[in-house]
Amino acid sequence: MDLDKIGLYLGCLIPTEQYAYELALREVLPEFGLELVDIEGPACCGAPLRHINLSLTMYLSARNIALFEKEGLDILAPCPYCHQALSEAKDIMKKNPALKEKVNTYLKEEGLEYRGTNEHFHLLDLLHDEIGIEKIKESIKEPLEGLNIAAHYGCHLIRPNDIPRPDHSEDPQKLETLLKAIGAKSEYYNEKLDCCGAHIFINDQESALTKTGQKLEAVQKHGFDGMTTMCPWGQRMFDAKQDSAGQTVGASLSLPVIYYIQLLGLAMGKEQEKLGLHLNKSPVDKLGSKEED
Amino acid sequence: MSIVDLTSMAEPEGEAQKKVNEIIKGLKEDIPNDCYQCGKCTSGCEAFILTELEPHKVMALSKSGFIDELLNSSEIWTCVTCLKCKERCPQDLAPVDVIFAVKNIAVVSGKQIDSGYSNMLQAVLGTGFIQSPKEVVDRENNAVTREGLGLTPMKGPEEIAKLQQVLMKAAMETLR
Ligand code: SF4
Ligand code: SF4
Repeated sequence: MDLDKIGLYLGCLIPTEQYAYELALREVLPEFGLELVDIEGPACCGAPLRHINLSLTMYLSARNIALFEKEGLDILAPCPYCHQALSEAKDIMKKNPALKEKVNTYLKEEGLEYRGTNEHFHLLDLLHDEIGIEKIKESIKEPLEGLNIAAHYGCHLIRPNDIPRPDHSEDPQKLETLLKAIGAKSEYYNEKLDCCGAHIFINDQESALTKTGQKLEAVQKHGFDGMTTMCPWGQRMFDAKQDSAGQTVGASLSLPVIYYIQLLGLAMGKEQEKLGLHLNKSPVDKLGSKEED
Repeated sequence: MSIVDLTSMAEPEGEAQKKVNEIIKGLKEDIPNDCYQCGKCTSGCEAFILTELEPHKVMALSKSGFIDELLNSSEIWTCVTCLKCKERCPQDLAPVDVIFAVKNIAVVSGKQIDSGYSNMLQAVLGTGFIQSPKEVVDRENNAVTREGLGLTPMKGPEEIAKLQQVLMKAAMETLR
């Protein structure tokens, strides 16, 4: 890996409530010789505003890329929703130079310019393709043996396939590979690509929680010890809203849901508190006891 | 017209209505002729099984310009943006993108939208983000803040008024 520093673009949800993700990222990634750089000025990626006005999404994504580009930084966007918005903006401007010009006339008013010379990564490709499985294996002090963890990718991380995504749209495998690298097992389950429901939570909580509950129930029935995510929206549904999801679908749910970066930190021997484990609402303690069995 | 009005204005008249009609015509022209109504998009739609959203129907209605029914329907707002319809369409079409376009048209035509969306827009215009750092509780029910966890304050846009101004202008353009 020739990356020794990278701009951290957290978007909206991670720095305003999904603190465990941020804590674990800041705790774990520097162990691989990667400096996370915070810059002034980023805003929302614009993806949540797609429903209202697509031009806003385009502008905000271009603006965020341009801010990091100005500092000569590549970007780590650990939220799949943000990552996809950035990828889409980049793709559209690459294919349509006239539109890029137009976006740039607006950016100029903020003293910015989009050129498209920097790259952006999600945590999935950063870990799997850049840092690499070997280095991850070398960092492990306490392998998570005996755990069978369900992988949840998140829709925006793998789709749509007409723009570059970090993994395959219908048969993603990198998260499973990363789970194996830290000593865990990750079996296939039929509901693997099912949606978490997060994006209609804002206007239709019952439907959203039904989706969440159905997937959790399926994972629990399969006998998994827990589920792992790389998405703050999915984590928020499966972890923080697990109780309400269980009530909505009439199931008694008790499934540990944990960010992959937290699992990695645990396998590296990091203190739980530094990984924000006390912030997970689902019964993540169960993972520890199962491991010792 | 400001972008804030976009989410709250009344039924458009005159010039505004003309503009909306143009956008609807544009959408109709933008959708290729290739949808053969096979229904594959709907068969895998994550919203269909819950809320009866039928992406193939959205395609047919938008292509023929009959989008009034869609603009007034609640179903278009139940798309969970799983993107499976776009992924799986044998004709490389993107019902999800048409649904977004229709929602955008609903907004400029002054249709009532869920306050969740307008609140998010207001928050982005005011702070740059959909929400500000929240106090959360840990598993033991202790209140926890960003600062309390030792995380540095968020570094948002320096000149929020400037960003707001540019966003309002950008919203009136078609940056796609
Ligand atoms: S949009 Fe594609 S998948 Fe859907 S009905 Fe038309 S051709 Fe079939
Ligand atoms: S993106 Fe929306 S319309 Fe398309 S399959 Fe998913 S829920 Fe259905």
